[in-house]
Amino acid sequence: MNFMKCLLCSLWLLLSFSQSQAENVPEPEGFWSGPVNSAVPDTIRGGKIIHARELSDLIASEDPLLIDVSNMPKRPEGMPADALWLPLPHEAIPGALWIPEVGGATVSGDIDELFASQLAQETAGDLDRPIVIYCHERCWLSWNAAKRAIGYGYRNVHWFPEGIEGWRAAGFETDTVSPRRPPEP
Amino acid sequence: MGMKYALTLLVAALASGAAIAQAPPEDEQAQRAERWQQLKQAIFKERSIENGEDILGLEAPPRALDAALVPLTVRTSGAKPVERIYLIIDNNPGPLAGKFTFGEAADPSVLKVRMRVNTYTDIHAVAESEDGKLYSVQKFVKAAGGCSAPAGSNDAKALQDLGQMRLRLPPEVVLGKPVRAQLMIRHPNFNGMQMDQITRHYTPAHFIKTIDVTFEGKSVLNVESDIALSTDPVITFGFIPRTEGKLKVVVNDSKGNRFERSFDVAPSERMSDVR
Repeated sequence: MNFMKCLLCSLWLLLSFSQSQAENVPEPEGFWSGPVNSAVPDTIRGGKIIHARELSDLIASEDPLLIDVSNMPKRPEGMPADALWLPLPHEAIPGALWIPEVGGATVSGDIDELFASQLAQETAGDLDRPIVIYCHERCWLSWNAAKRAIGYGYRNVHWFPEGIEGWRAAGFETDTVSPRRPPEP
Repeated sequence: MGMKYALTLLVAALASGAAIAQAPPEDEQAQRAERWQQLKQAIFKERSIENGEDILGLEAPPRALDAALVPLTVRTSGAKPVERIYLIIDNNPGPLAGKFTFGEAADPSVLKVRMRVNTYTDIHAVAESEDGKLYSVQKFVKAAGGCSAPAGSNDAKALQDLGQMRLRLPPEVVLGKPVRAQLMIRHPNFNGMQMDQITRHYTPAHFIKTIDVTFEGKSVLNVESDIALSTDPVITFGFIPRTEGKLKVVVNDSKGNRFERSFDVAPSERMSDVR
């Protein structure tokens, strides 16, 4: 019995050091307002979870609308003018639209409107068009944004929790993209 | 729970570990090399950089559990006197994370800091020797999101005790021998990319720009830091006290605040942990 306990304990340790799926995070009632980069759930009410290979298949078969909601780096105030500021080009899943700022727990009316209108425009108002929303691994921005899209009435929303890191780790290509809108000052 | 189930779990856990250890694809390696070329040019211009494996070592976790607090340790071997260490987190938007210059009272053998890492990245430690040559070593770290991770539950709380410092010395301090000190500074080091947990607005950048450590007027360590330094920085460094005396720390931040604190250093029979 002791041997069993010891084995289970080391298993727990191993699993907790591997991926976040093992962490069993419940969905919050509303939008997530805790730390943006922390363990995420493996469900989203009203939407579907998708993983890299299924996503690649979906892209090939159904031309989903791909939305990347990652943050955009901003040069901090107070940084000396000659200090090196050189953000990486933003790598996204080919064909994705990069719409920063729409994954917060609360967003301003302007941003809410912008996100809703971008989705309406890109889907031509088709609420059944597959939409895939992602950012990074262990990042709640895409969970919140997917929940927001579900709230607008879209019926085929996929959330890709492994994000761009998971996409690249699965061996798929990326493209450099620019954001759809500059971040708020 | 059956033995068989437990073993299945064990196999699954080991398999996922194996997946993590996979080498990055070639094009990714090429991208990383290209980025380093770009940064080398931006930071060191035309100066050549040699392989530094005999001069220094860099320790970093292959996968960081908290990207806002990635522990980095640089050790110098003593094969060549080192005057300065540059820490470069290649894929951070502000890649030059810190410049650490050792003074006459320094023991440069160990330097430890905690940094924010924005995405999967190479981290380079570049040593500048006293004769002006550059040597580099590198580690690849898997961590994501450290730059937008909030510093605390909200701004007001994070600013409490701003600039307070503590110094931890080992139980044994012998005059004339290297002493390893751990300096802790209360500072949120806001980088401007974090959101207040309550107001949901971006918190303006407010970060430590320099840390100056001297012992009885002799220079130990000068740090030029940046937004990559973690909240409440903890820096471990070595110095050699030739006499009893005071270790003085001066911190300047991006809002013009200056914090100063002196700590008594005496042989170990009379002190342990200075607060």
